Amino acid sequence: MNPAGRKVMVVPCSGIGKTYGTVSREAAYEVTEDRRPGTTDLVALSLLVLGDEDARARVRAHPAVTIDGCKLACAAKMVRESGGHVAQDIAVLDVYRRNRELKPQGIAELNEGGQQLAHAVAAEIAAIVDDLISREEAPDHA
Amino acid sequence: MPDFLETTVDKFIFKVATDRLYTPEGVWALEDGDRIRVGVTDLVQQRSGDVAFAEVKAAGTVVATGDEVASIETIKTNVAVPSPIGGAIAEANPAMELTPEVINQDPYGEGWLAFIDPSDWATDRGALLDPQAYFVVMKAEAEEEAKKL
Repeated sequence: MNPAGRKVMVVPCSGIGKTYGTVSREAAYEVTEDRRPGTTDLVALSLLVLGDEDARARVRAHPAVTIDGCKLACAAKMVRESGGHVAQDIAVLDVYRRNRELKPQGIAELNEGGQQLAHAVAAEIAAIVDDLISREEAPDHA
Repeated sequence: MPDFLETTVDKFIFKVATDRLYTPEGVWALEDGDRIRVGVTDLVQQRSGDVAFAEVKAAGTVVATGDEVASIETIKTNVAVPSPIGGAIAEANPAMELTPEVINQDPYGEGWLAFIDPSDWATDRGALLDPQAYFVVMKAEAEEEAKKL
């Protein structure tokens, strides 16, 4: 149910060539394409970095869930620098710490542990999205 | 709070605390009463990446110089930490169980790994590098790695 037509933007880190970056992106695809296609949209971090006006407008207009593969937290920083509101930043490493059996390996292609970790990250984001959508008040852009 | 030797390589700043001794592999040893506190250097933590888990050998474990005293799993790699001295592990840093990221945040302070009761500190310390000597080793390694970027 999304009676108000509210959306949540999902912004994964780039992390090209890095295992945790791949987990981040796979989780983002899973949320926006499979788990919550009606209530989420994917925003590419690279567009924010390039200053793309449409991407910046979308993170300003909707709450964002960012997914970061390392402590640099580029996705969260870039959303904030674009004037957006980070409703929640998910650190892949934190999810892995809670699921140590899901050790990710691989870059272009994740191993089974990495794929399962992406599923776990996606499940956490889906729950956050549901919570955000269920709130009736407008997003806090403070 | 120790003083530091510091160098910048590419965009990274690397520090070496001046109050302790080092192995060339980047493990430090600091006298603390009768015990020796050990940990990894700033170069090791930066090169290894964000720490996911760290496991220190159990208290009472006897180690020789070079034996693994701890293992660190990061987002990039697994690091086996060789003991800088011989002795028995007296205490593992309890922070390693829940917040091992302190290794990244404070490698020379809160990110220590273990206390070791030394078996022959007088001899072992002679084989370790002083801060200035390790600084030279560290800087060369950092510059070598920067060439790969």
